[in-house]
Amino acid sequence: MANIKLELVNLRKEFGDLVAVDDVSIAIEESETMALLGPSGCGKSTILNMIVGLEAPTSGDILIDGKSVLNVPPGDRNIGLVFQDYAVFTHMTVRSNLAYGLKVRKMKQPEIDREIAKVSEFLSITHQLDRKPDELGASELQRVAIGRTLVTNPEILLLDEPLSNLEAAMRNQMRRELRRIQADTGQTIIYVTHDQIEALSLAHRIAVMDFGALQQYDTAHNVYQYPANRFVGSFLGNPPMNFLKGKLAEDGGRRVVTSGDSTIPLPAGNLGSDVSAGADVVVGVRPESLSLAAADDPGRFSVPVLAVEPQGPETVVTASFGDSSLKVIVPTGDPAVERDSIDLVPVSDLVALFDAESGVRLLDSGDRR
Amino acid sequence: MVTNTSTGGASTLGLGKPRRFDPNDKKYIPGLLITPVQILLCVMLIFPFILEFVISMTEWQPIYGDFWLAFTSVFTQKINQGINYNYLVTDEPRYLQALGRTVIMSVISLCLEFVIGLGLASLFLKKFWGKRIWFTALLTPMMIMPVVVGYTWFMLFQYNGPINQIFGWIAFSPVNLQWLNDGTLAFIAVIVTEVWHWTPLFFLIMLSGLNAVPENPIRAATVLGASNVKIFWTIILPNMRAVIIIAFVIRGMEVVKLFDEIYLLTRGGPGTATETISLYLYKLAFEDFRLAYAGSAAFIVLVITVVLINMMLKPIRYQLVEGR
Repeated sequence: MANIKLELVNLRKEFGDLVAVDDVSIAIEESETMALLGPSGCGKSTILNMIVGLEAPTSGDILIDGKSVLNVPPGDRNIGLVFQDYAVFTHMTVRSNLAYGLKVRKMKQPEIDREIAKVSEFLSITHQLDRKPDELGASELQRVAIGRTLVTNPEILLLDEPLSNLEAAMRNQMRRELRRIQADTGQTIIYVTHDQIEALSLAHRIAVMDFGALQQYDTAHNVYQYPANRFVGSFLGNPPMNFLKGKLAEDGGRRVVTSGDSTIPLPAGNLGSDVSAGADVVVGVRPESLSLAAADDPGRFSVPVLAVEPQGPETVVTASFGDSSLKVIVPTGDPAVERDSIDLVPVSDLVALFDAESGVRLLDSGDRR
Repeated sequence: MVTNTSTGGASTLGLGKPRRFDPNDKKYIPGLLITPVQILLCVMLIFPFILEFVISMTEWQPIYGDFWLAFTSVFTQKINQGINYNYLVTDEPRYLQALGRTVIMSVISLCLEFVIGLGLASLFLKKFWGKRIWFTALLTPMMIMPVVVGYTWFMLFQYNGPINQIFGWIAFSPVNLQWLNDGTLAFIAVIVTEVWHWTPLFFLIMLSGLNAVPENPIRAATVLGASNVKIFWTIILPNMRAVIIIAFVIRGMEVVKLFDEIYLLTRGGPGTATETISLYLYKLAFEDFRLAYAGSAAFIVLVITVVLINMMLKPIRYQLVEGR
């Protein structure tokens, strides 16, 4: 395993009775990109503030390069933070904004000029150096904010919702830009975001948070394909994951989940020891993880069709599975969808099984990366 | 903005068609609504202003019997081509001294009010015990009538009054400072009264200004490693620039007009040690009845005030007018 750059150890933050961050432990490797993903109010901004040092944790520890930084003031932690609203100093020119962190570090003027020239070229804001921030657009302001942080050469770069203030077209461009920055500088980067696309496209690893607690911390692939619980499954993916309520059963040596007339086969794997046949469970399967089955496919199952919505190259088919509804994406024009029921087969082992009550993943299967 | 310099506006106004007054046209409503105020302004402000300017150019005196006679006599006076102005600026040191004294007193008291007000406002950003009571208490002075403030401090500054008493306790020996009878001490007493009375306004404006400074730039500077002092000078103060300038403008206009308190404390004395421009004008006009001179003196003050206020507003004029 590579160098651990930043480690959060049982980090906890309480505001009065409210537990904002509930014993979160995360380790981030050097030069890795991590996304803290969760709905608003899940505690991700609080974690960010604690890492930077703007807030002190109630308990737990924050280690950078193995050393606790709890007693180090924010300015000395060598962490860069880019705010969601960029927090550019509006009364200064772009140049003074970029120079601010260097002046604080008492760098000499010629050196400051050199560093600013370097970073402004890197972010292509050279021609805007003598402008005031109120003459710049949102994406340029963001470059200034990133530049102001990068110029101080931080060991860890934190970005709070970096794309949320940009319009759609700008977002794609900035996403490419951020990936380029990461590739060129080899920075350890932490993104805080509520946008799953942003997290999936930018981060090596994703920490999914809800109600202050860490739900899953894994690679982007694993978080998407093998959610640790029902929340993670539902939070990522569009259209969302299908959740099919049913009872666990055994059918000819194969584990299946049945509800009403429908039965879905489960992939092989280790089932939790306290789960037995007849238990109430929820199957989680993504719309794109199901495909139309050939007539002789052994893993196929049949469900009644409720609605068919062609959407250009793909068609979304809504079917029912017992009391639950099921969405599948199939190629447009397939004659199979014209019938009252369709035969489906799950792609490889991407079928998750959750406990109906707690939502915890029950079946340990699959090819994790 | 409509530009009618190049075309003379002829084509845009459509002179070909006859234009009639349409009482239902909504574009007349704003004009109609502000007309009463405009008339009031003309009667109460602009006409007296012009009259005052005319008087200041003459040697008019209000000794012509009944009102209409006195009024009409203004316009039969010989215009003396600014002799009053000339006299005031060259041969009346008392006037120039009063002007200078007003400037010194304004600058000292405004700076003190600003520093103390900002300091108190900074304290109020943190939580402390009894904050709400302190807040009310701190605002009280500016709600008291100037006459009451003047008379209260007049009593406090008596040579056998409470202030000498308190100084006596501190010095462990009787203190008998002649606060209101010594030139320098009287000047200090006036400034103390003024600062006590009006620091609350600065405190209030500075507090709202501090609260309006966006939080994230401060946090960003903290993360970049700036100290609290550095953040105060480089982030907080520049962000409060407009608020600070407006506070100075409002108080600057007020402090030039300062009258009641000085009149009650010292009547401009001892000698002319605390005679500010408004006291001088009062004495000139209503004790000596040299109204033409007083008119010229006041007009010079007005011009100076307008120029100064506009200079103070210059850095934020663009921001205020363009709304950015």
